[in-house]
Formats: sequence, C-alpha cells, structure tokens
Amino acid sequence: MPSRESDIATPRLVIDVAGLQSLIDSLRGDGYRVVGPTVRDGAIVLAEMSDVAELPRGWADDQRPGGYRLTRREDGAFFGHSVSAATWKHHLFPPEVVSWQARVDTEGIHVEAPAAPARYALLGLRACDLAAIAVQDRVLMQTAHPDRDYAARRERALLIAVNCAAPSGSCFCTSMGTGPRATAGHDLALTELVGDGEGPARSAQVPAGAERNDAGAGHRFLVEVGSERGAAAISALRASPPSASDLDAAAAVWSSAAARVDRSLDTAGLPGLLMRNLEHPRWDLVAERCLSCANCTLVCPTCFCVDLREAGGLDPRHAEQHRVWASCFSVDHSQLHGGSMRWSARARYRQWMTHKLATWHEQFGTSGCVGCGRCITWCPAGIDITEEAAAIRATDGLTGPPTRARG
Amino acid sequence: MQSTRRPKLAVWKFGSCDGCQLSLLNCEDELLTLAGAVEIAYFLEASTAVTEGPYDLSLVEGSVTTPHDAERIQEVRATSRHLVAIGACATAGGIQALRNLADVGEMTRTVYAHPDYISTLESSTPIAAHVPVDFELRGCPVSRHQLLEVVSAFLAGRKPLVPAYSVCQECKRRGNVCVTVAHGTPCLGPVTQAGCGAICPSFHRGCYGCFGPTETPNTAALSDVLRSCGMSGPELVRIFRTYNTGAPAFAAASAAAEKRGGPR
Amino acid sequence: MTHQTRDLSLEALSRVEGEGAMHVVIDGKTVTDLRLQIYEPPRFFEAFLRGRAYTEPPDITARICGICPVAYQMSACQAIESACGVVVDEPLRALRRLLYCGEWIESHVLHIYLLHAPDFLGAGSALELAREHRDVVERALRLKKVGNHIMDVVGGRSVHPVNVRVGGFYRVPTLSELRGLLDELRWARDAALETVRWVSTFTFPDLEVAHEMVALRHPSEYAVVDGRVASDRGLDIPVDAFLDHFEEEHVAHSTALHAHRKGGGRYLVGPLARYTVNHDRLPALAREAAADAGLGPECRNPFRSIVVRAVETLAACDDAIGLIEGYEEPERPAVPVEPRAGVGHGITEAPRGLLYHRYELDEDGAVLSAVIVPPTAQNQDAIESDLRRVVVENLGLRDSALQHLCEEAIRNYDPCISCSAHFLDVTVERR
Repeated sequence: MPSRESDIATPRLVIDVAGLQSLIDSLRGDGYRVVGPTVRDGAIVLAEMSDVAELPRGWADDQRPGGYRLTRREDGAFFGHSVSAATWKHHLFPPEVVSWQARVDTEGIHVEAPAAPARYALLGLRACDLAAIAVQDRVLMQTAHPDRDYAARRERALLIAVNCAAPSGSCFCTSMGTGPRATAGHDLALTELVGDGEGPARSAQVPAGAERNDAGAGHRFLVEVGSERGAAAISALRASPPSASDLDAAAAVWSSAAARVDRSLDTAGLPGLLMRNLEHPRWDLVAERCLSCANCTLVCPTCFCVDLREAGGLDPRHAEQHRVWASCFSVDHSQLHGGSMRWSARARYRQWMTHKLATWHEQFGTSGCVGCGRCITWCPAGIDITEEAAAIRATDGLTGPPTRARG
Repeated sequence: MQSTRRPKLAVWKFGSCDGCQLSLLNCEDELLTLAGAVEIAYFLEASTAVTEGPYDLSLVEGSVTTPHDAERIQEVRATSRHLVAIGACATAGGIQALRNLADVGEMTRTVYAHPDYISTLESSTPIAAHVPVDFELRGCPVSRHQLLEVVSAFLAGRKPLVPAYSVCQECKRRGNVCVTVAHGTPCLGPVTQAGCGAICPSFHRGCYGCFGPTETPNTAALSDVLRSCGMSGPELVRIFRTYNTGAPAFAAASAAAEKRGGPR
Repeated sequence: MTHQTRDLSLEALSRVEGEGAMHVVIDGKTVTDLRLQIYEPPRFFEAFLRGRAYTEPPDITARICGICPVAYQMSACQAIESACGVVVDEPLRALRRLLYCGEWIESHVLHIYLLHAPDFLGAGSALELAREHRDVVERALRLKKVGNHIMDVVGGRSVHPVNVRVGGFYRVPTLSELRGLLDELRWARDAALETVRWVSTFTFPDLEVAHEMVALRHPSEYAVVDGRVASDRGLDIPVDAFLDHFEEEHVAHSTALHAHRKGGGRYLVGPLARYTVNHDRLPALAREAAADAGLGPECRNPFRSIVVRAVETLAACDDAIGLIEGYEEPERPAVPVEPRAGVGHGITEAPRGLLYHRYELDEDGAVLSAVIVPPTAQNQDAIESDLRRVVVENLGLRDSALQHLCEEAIRNYDPCISCSAHFLDVTVERR
C-alpha cells in the first residue's frame, strides 16, 4: 500500500459536489461527451450524462455468481457501488463500428475512412477498469497493425477514475494486483469522502466562496492528477488543497476497500497449472453447466475478439465493413476449412479460461484478467472462474472421469 | 457482356400466418431496390402477375400440414434452383406442431363441427422434412434485415451471414441489463438463436425462443437456471412448447421437464 | 338450345392474405354453384390453447395472423382480463389504442396500395405501378412504415409484438420515445389525406349491399379497443352476449367457419360496417375528408371500401397524434391480474372487423376452452352472396374479365384468410 508520504509528489486537491458539477460542465464545454454511471433497468449502467443528479447517488450493489441486485446506501455517496454492469468497452471499443466504406463508379473504387469518433470523458472508472484498458492498449495498439478506431478513441479520451469504497462479492482485484486503488493510467482519480459519516451527506451546495474546513467537512472528493491532460482539465476549477484529515480519510477508504475484497484467485504459477491440466475432469463438470451463451466474454473488459463483417446491403455499388464483437464461445469462432475445431462447450470454456489466465501471458506479457468479477456476476449459470481455478489447483494432475464437486 | 436477366424470386405460402412474407413487404426502404434487383416472379400476396418457373430463389413460408401441401412442396422444390425456408413454421413446424403431441382427430373435432370435411395430416412438419432445403432462416417472424441479407447473399452467390450464436450476444452488444441476473426473470436467451436483436429483454421480458435453438444449446443447464428463477415444472414444459416446439432441442427439453416435473 | 359451360377457375386468389379459392358454376345464365373455398391449412389454435396458462393467449393467438397480430393480442387480453375481473384503464388503455393505430395504418395502407389499388389502375401489382408512379408507391411504403414504427416503439416489433401482456405491457415507452414519432405522424396524416383524395378518383362499379352492418360502438371514440356490439339495425349488446346473437357454422367447402346472425341473416363487419355505424364518431378531419371524397354518412358499396379504409387511416394518424400529445408515462407498465375460474369475452376492431375471443379459465388460470371468431369468417357468407350478385350482373363479360372481376370483388373485403381458417381459389365452371 503506497504511503501518504510517497504520494506527496502527485498533485492533489479537493473539490466539493458543486465542483464535480463544474468539472462536468467544463469538460462538456471543451467538447467532451461525459459518460458516467447511472441507474437504469435495475442496475448501474454507463450513459452519457450532464448533471451529477444522474449519478447513482445512494445506490450500491450486491454481486455474486449469477446474481446482481441494487441496494440502498445510507450516506448518499455518488460512487458507493462497485463495477458497472457494462464495461467501458462500449465507448472505447464499441460493439459495432464501421471499419471502412467504399463506392464504385465509372471512375473506380473510392474508399472512405469513417468519421473520427467522439471525444469521451469517462467518469467513474475503477482501478480494475483502468487495468483492463491498459491490457487492451497492449493488445490493440502495441502491435504491427493497431486498431485504428480504438487508437483514435483512446487518444481522445479523458479517463477519470474513482477509487472503490465498496467492492462487491464478485471482485478479486487484490489478487490480480489491479486495485482497488487507481495508481496508473488515469488522467484524474477521485476518492469520494462523504463527510463525517453520521448519515446522508449534507447538501451538496457549498456556499460560494466558503472556506472548506477540516472538522465535519461536507461531501467532497480528493482529486489526484495523473497526467497533464488531467491537470489541464481541472485547472480552472475552484478547489482547495487537501487537509491532513482529507488525506487520512482517503487512505482509510483505500485500505478498507482492499480489506473488503473477499474473493481471491491464487495466481502463483497459474499459467503452468492450467496448461498442464488440459485433460482435467473439472472441464467436463463446468461444461455441463456452461451455456456457451458468451455473456462472460461480452462483459469482460479485456476480451477483444471481433468479427469483420460485410454489411453493404442490396446495392452492389456500395461496400461496407463492420467490426463487431465476437466471442470464442461461438462455434464459428474456431471455424476452419472443413468445420469448427471447438465443437464442445468443454473445449470452448477451456479455451476461454486458459487464454484469459494462462496463454495471455505468452501473448501479451500480462494476465488477461483484471479481477473485476463481471464474468462471475453476469453468468446466468453462476460459473465462477476463481472457483474453477481453485478446484483444478486443489486436484492438480487429476485425470479420469469427472466426479461431482457440486450438488 | 453479362446477361441482364434478373434472377427470378418466388414466394410461397404453406401453413402459416403470413407474417414472414409480410416481413419482406415491411422492408419499405429496400423494397423498390429489391424489385429492381430481382424479378418478383411469383408472390401472390403482392402480385397477380405470375411468371412461370423455374425460379432462381424460392422463399417458402409455412409448414406442411395437409396431404395437398405435402405434394405441393415437391413441386416447389422441383421448380426452384435454391429453396430457402423462412420462419418457425417452415423451419420447425411452427406452433401448429403442437398437434404432433396430441390427438389430431380430437383437435379437429374441437374446432370443426364436421371434422370429416377437413383433410389434414397428423403432424405439422418443417419443409426440410420433405425436400432438401438450401438454407433455413429462423424466426417468428423472421427478421427483415436477415431476410434481405439472405436474398442479397443468394444474388451474390455467397453464403448468408446469419449467425447461429445466442440472443445473449445481441443483448449484451445492445447494452441491455440481463433480466435473469438482475431481475430473476426467466429467459430463454442463452439457448435461443440470435437474429431478433434481443427485443424481449430490451422490453423487460424474458426471451421466449421464437428464433429456435441456438447452436449447441445446453437446455439442461438453462432449465436449472429457469427453475432457480421460480419456474414450475409445467411452466418449464410450456416455455419450450411454443413456436419452435418441433425443433429437436426444444422438444427434448420440454420432454425432459415433463418427465421430471410432471404436467399440471 | 345449347348451354354454354363456363369454367372460370382460379386455383389461388392473389393479393389477398392467405390461401383461398373460388369455385363458380354457371349454367346458361344461372349461377348454380358458388363457393369461396378456403384451403388455408387449419392450424387448430382453439384446440391447442387448452391447457395453456392465462398469460399465453396474447402471444400465441398473435400467430394466427401476421398482418393483424395486435388485434389478436388486444382481444385476447380483453377476454382474459374480463374473466379475471380486471379493467385496464388510462393511461395504459391509451397506449393500447396507440399500438392499435399503428396496426390500422400498416394494415390499411398495405391493402389500399399494395393489394387493392392495382385493381383500379389495371396493374398486376404495386410494384408494376411503381414503374409509372414511383412517387405514389414510395408514399405508400413510407406511410406503411410509420404504422410499423409505432408498433416497433410501443410493441417491440410490428409482426408479433413482444411488449403486450395481460394487464398492460412489459415496458412503457418514455415520453421522448413517443414524441420522436410525432414528426413522421404529422407527415403521415397529410399523406393519408392525400390517399383519400387519390382513391376517390377511382372508378367504382355500382354495388349496394343490404347486409346488416355490425361494429363496436363507443360513447365517444371511433371504437377500436372496446365498446358494445352495435349495428345499423338497432343491435346494441354487450360484448359478452356476442354468442347469444351470432353463431358459427362449418360448411363443407371451407376450413374457415362461417358466421351469421342467430335466426338467420348475413352480416358484414369491417370498414364499411364501422363507417356506417360510427360515422358520427370519426374525428372531424376524417369526416370532412370522407365527404369531400363523395361518401355519405353510410357506405354500402364494397368497391368503395378502399375509400373508407383511407378515411380510417387518416383517423388513425390523427388519433395517434392526439394520444401521443396527451401521453403521461404510466406509473407501472401493467396492472396485476390474478387468475380465477370463469369465462371472459373480448371484442376489438381488427383492421378487417370485429374479432371476438372467449376463454374459459380454471381457478389456476389454465385455459379450459377457447373460441375465436375472426372478422373474415364473419364476412364469408356476405362475400359469397355479393360475389354471386357480381357474377349474375356481369355474365356478359368474357371469362377472363369475369374471373378478374370476381377476384377484385373478393379483395374489397380485404379477407384475412389465415385468420379465418383456425380458414380461397376461384374455379368457375360454366355449363
């Protein structure tokens, strides 16, 4: 855990709720589309926003294998919830984008590059989300053929992280070394401090020109600057330097969040463990439960597989190619001449898990998993990647027919 | 240099509600372009003018439920270079395949006072049970986008891009919140083929499988999930017995639920 | 004296929904046999609804017809809600009316432009019309699309909407989603008015029918989603008395059941009947357009039904705009409906006319029996009798022209043959 002393070099300040609104306003004034968490359809989703009132104030979430429920908080925190239902991939690596278009006429073929994507300010990223973006940066940009759309969106994006106060039952960022505190990759990182904790936060409105004081300070945010772009974004805000008690309160949030992460994944020698257990009977057991529905891959913030599809329509003079999210759980994903080589659910689940936790290291130098827990929460069958890894580790080297591990 | 003969398209109706043909007429933005790209040679719903076959592409809607239709499909196949079955009736027998589970004579008597006037088969079967089919497009009704894709593909001489993965993929791409995980609502999405754009979850209801089984559906595992959402045995039997009741994976799933939970 | 045998077989009717045939035998100058033969394969909906849950008929009966699924969903909901003692009132009722407007627009425009108008213009299809009159066909397609768009937004999709359930909906649209329809609806209202004007220029054969005109009637609306059953001969009964006054009969030549008034008498349902019974309930704009198009307060010429449908399309566009402008987002998408033992009846006005559903439920809400009487089945007798008159009055025409006229006459009724066969092919033999 970084100490306060070592953080002294990071520029920091404190803003109140009105200041957060000012930040949003100024970003929008600069042409950013601000995207943040909001409550919709019984979950915390990400949507374009313009007002702090749209944030999920007073909402928290209870996440577990195959289950998600919103719950209420007493303290009116804006960010007192855990990871959002959908990932920030929807904005940096969207489900469907036009890769290119072309028309043919008497003069020949004319290829058009798609229009430049919007500038997004992403507000509310968690440390695990930042880590996932770093993974996708490696996969999609540090390569001989960078994905142009991703690179353009990434370059334009402003990343405002919020440090977790309330990890959920599915989270295991501490095992993956990715959180709960944001330490790299952010332009700004906020830690929400909800006053003296005696009940719902006091009114967000702080009288203009009021001095923030230490004792019984209101609802406020410690802002840590992570980049020049971040510094520029807050340069015009009315803010105060953090007091000692602000820094103490923030450190308490960070450490209590880490302590609350309940779930773990033992990563010691994990790639080797999985790759020497490719015939372990556990794969057969999980295959009985796996729906091959692809939900896990589509909520995973690092999954990057895509289909490139022709989408030209009836007019033969027009061609259009779309890049669309795909999944290794589709039979088509392993289609070769003559057929698919991963026909069984067992083969596909094994492929996903071993890629995510093992072969990703070979390919990209890191784990593919950031411990956000979304695959656990959003699997309708409640399959839990940490449980599967633990089961294999507990019976390393087992062969033979599967035995029932669960009722 | 090339022949300017447009390919001949024919649209045929068997035992059905007409909804799949209507989906073609619902391609309002594309209909006139389509009419320019193909010769709509036989489409009784839309046109009196009929051009004789053979036809390059026949779209067949509806299931085979009468002796007359069992003969007619043979004629349609013989006169068609490519034959595409469209919709749940043509690809799985439709909801009228519920008769396959029951006593058809008894059903006829329920509906018709003079059942001897009615000539019908004991079963409702998909087109592929009678003739070779070049492609099957699922849906109740089919998606008009996929219908256009099928026609475009056959015109271009390529395979239609009609994915067989689950509705969940469309649902998640659309940014929907999962009705099962977040609301406890039973949903057939994980075992149902995509194509509709995940409409039902977008409208806060569980998928009811109108596009039929996905590739490699694990209906046993999903049945466990549905039961944990509070579905009773009889409800589980019924949810697999609708528009694609004749599809083998759904028929097996409902039979398994019936065996395990018993009917009412 | 030799008798000339005329065989005017039409194996399959075109530009009608579903599969039907007509068989006519003319002996000299007498029509000795005339039958509308429905060979649409029977699908036995009423039988396999038994044993299903009370929540299922709206989705299942929608599959009786791809052109009017909303009508089935609405009649089914009303009947089941009636059995369970629930009334769905505003603002959910307003949403149901709006969804229904979408279907009327889609179905009527389909019929007017794609199925019926070609007859009046000597074309085999609207696609053929598009060669000379592309702008007219484009207007048709755009107008039909507006109807479909309403159903997409309120119902989820236009063929077999997913958002309808007993008690209301699964999800209600937001005000902004509905207001997003207003611009195109205003265009549609103008286009509908233009449609009335356009069809009023057609040449209509003379035919006045004397059937009893039966339609729903409502105290203030041009009845669509509910009302009492009324007629131009003074009938005024509640929906649940329908089977006391009307009955179905199974005839040998048809897989569709024929309906008639108990105690005899053919009757007609659909646009002509609605217009005649409810002329005073039309929105002013539609009434004026009807008058300008040469319609009086009643219409008994089936060939002019195309004008009536255009007037109803205009009324539906106008209604939809009013419903959206007055929309308040409901607090909940549906009212709770607890099942109970009993019988319920529901009648709503499908684009083609009265659609009656009756369900008997047990105490757990399982369906014990189902009776569905679609509009086209109710019109069969009327269609056959009118066809007979058309043939008799036009015997001088040569065979192909007479055959053509017969088929056109059938199209006046916009028969929905898939519906009527749970229900056509013209063969005319002249001997």
